[in-house]
Amino acid sequence: MTDETYPSSVLRRPSSIVLGLGNPLLGDDGVGWRVAEKCAERIAGMPNVEVDCFARGGLSLMERLIGYDRAILIDAINTGGKPTGTVACLRLEELQNPNAGHLASAHDATLQTALEMGRALGAQLPRAVMVVAVEAENVYDFSEELSPLVAAAVPRAVELVMTLLGNSMLPVPLA
Amino acid sequence: MQRITIDPITRLEGHGKIEIFLDEEGEVANTYFQIPELRGFERFCVGRPVEEMPVITNRICGVCPEAHHMAAAKAADAVYHVDPPSAAKKLRELLYSAFYVTDHTTHFYALAGPDFVMGPDAPVAERNILGVIHKVGVEIGSQVIQARKYGHAVVEMIGGRKVHPCTSIPGGLTKGITEEQRAEIEEMGRWAVNFATFSLKLFNDIVLKDSAYLALILGDIYSHHTYYIGMVDSENRVNFYDGKVSVVDPDGKRIGKYAPHEYTDWIAEHVEPWTYLKFPYLKKIGWKGFVDGKDSGVYCATPLSRLNAADRMATPLAQEEYERFYSTLGGKPVHQRLATHWARLIELLYAAERWVELATDPEITSDNFRAQPTEKPTEGVGIVEAPRGTLTHHYWTDERGILTQVNLIVGTTNNYAPISMSIKKAAQSFIHKGVVVSEGALNRIEMAFRAYDPCFGCATHSLPGQMPLQVTIRDARGEVVDVLRQPC
Repeated sequence: MTDETYPSSVLRRPSSIVLGLGNPLLGDDGVGWRVAEKCAERIAGMPNVEVDCFARGGLSLMERLIGYDRAILIDAINTGGKPTGTVACLRLEELQNPNAGHLASAHDATLQTALEMGRALGAQLPRAVMVVAVEAENVYDFSEELSPLVAAAVPRAVELVMTLLGNSMLPVPLA
Repeated sequence: MQRITIDPITRLEGHGKIEIFLDEEGEVANTYFQIPELRGFERFCVGRPVEEMPVITNRICGVCPEAHHMAAAKAADAVYHVDPPSAAKKLRELLYSAFYVTDHTTHFYALAGPDFVMGPDAPVAERNILGVIHKVGVEIGSQVIQARKYGHAVVEMIGGRKVHPCTSIPGGLTKGITEEQRAEIEEMGRWAVNFATFSLKLFNDIVLKDSAYLALILGDIYSHHTYYIGMVDSENRVNFYDGKVSVVDPDGKRIGKYAPHEYTDWIAEHVEPWTYLKFPYLKKIGWKGFVDGKDSGVYCATPLSRLNAADRMATPLAQEEYERFYSTLGGKPVHQRLATHWARLIELLYAAERWVELATDPEITSDNFRAQPTEKPTEGVGIVEAPRGTLTHHYWTDERGILTQVNLIVGTTNNYAPISMSIKKAAQSFIHKGVVVSEGALNRIEMAFRAYDPCFGCATHSLPGQMPLQVTIRDARGEVVDVLRQPC
């Protein structure tokens, strides 16, 4: 597939961002960063994909997502009902608690509200936001180590991100 | 009233909780505000070089990393007994002023504003920044985003990276700014002054001209007569970055000022069995419980406190507003906690003016932005005013500069006692004879602590992100009558 054989509108690959959320100093809370770091190794050189880590939610997170067509957020989560290390994938709008994980900021808004606001202001924001969530165990003790079950979940979360990214990398016509 | 025991498991659910206990008549007997506690911060830091602290502590909290970066930098200066050159102090303060503009803007438009623009009885789904935009206009949203963008840009230029600055080191900074950057910073600062002025006008039109809101602010429900603290410069004017901490009594009389290294002479911490978080109080007055008055060591450290603890503002437009503030609200000090929102906007204007002042200071582009430490490191304290209150970092090191002990008193922790008192008073005012509270009444209780802009994220060394609130109402036997949950 080259520029010569396909019109650019079909060839254009949407830009994606893979963002690890959380606090890397707070035990399992840093799992989003670890997954993102591993993804970065696999994604290196891939066009139109950026990988980063981020520690803020709400408006700041919305601002970080400006300019991308698709976003994959990786975060620790405490549902309390699933075994530690469970990796789940869901659309942002499917989240039952809009304050889950690091998507919201106690000082401004939930990510959903922030995205709606951004769109109302005309910002270019991802049409699809996927959340890869890892059920965490220890998010209350300062540590740079993940607990064993959460550490073991990192490769599974990486694969999930790569699969999502593969799907999102399919060429699509421009709207 | 039934004795309260808090199950440590439920205490660690990761969200703020208010427990309201009713008496036999169904009136509010007591309230308890609890938040999760994180552990091991000191253990995490001990053994690391002190110069790492400005970049470690700014990861404690996702809300105000810049404040921790500055307090840590100042504490590290003190540990090394080095006084940064004047240009370095000005650059740090410039970064800090821009950060303040961002932070105070966000709080007003996203959290405080909706209570007034939408009204306290508006459905919770509408009481957010989106609701404000729908009601006041899209242009407001664009300006808020612009203010944040400019603030972030200055932090990145001086601090080396967005959000989590990394350029402050013992003795100053790793880099300065160019004339081109300075000009850009100045231009953004001038825009920020106009934006802050506009924000105060909006507050005036929407809140102060509305007799119902003004009555709410001036009423007794949200009022507490406590001591106030806040940092001031050598002329007793509000300063966020440097100076001494002024302490005034409930009559507004200054009882003293303390330098950072003297904080332990002034501040002590009280322990309660129902929460892990400690309650700081004025040592010289003593802990007398959760009560108002001159004999109670409870103090407050907020934008309102800073205005009360100072003699004036250091910039002209903010000073005009400062005078209007006290003449409108009946003189100094102001005890009405909802006036904190107005005070925060006056600080927003001051921060913007200070931003321009520093950006136009001839020294700001100087190459002399670092003094080399030459003395053996020992122990040091750094204090700045975080947006949510006085922030104190205290470090001890060995002679190689390796940390042996760490103590932090973060902004919101100062206010734990007054916040608890405000919640109790609001609950007693809005819940009667066991009547199940409406969402509007619940919001009015929330407004009691929202005025403080509490950030227990770092008060507990907690994670950035969420603090959904759960309110549980129990009868005289301790049985749950009602549970209300909502994000705050």
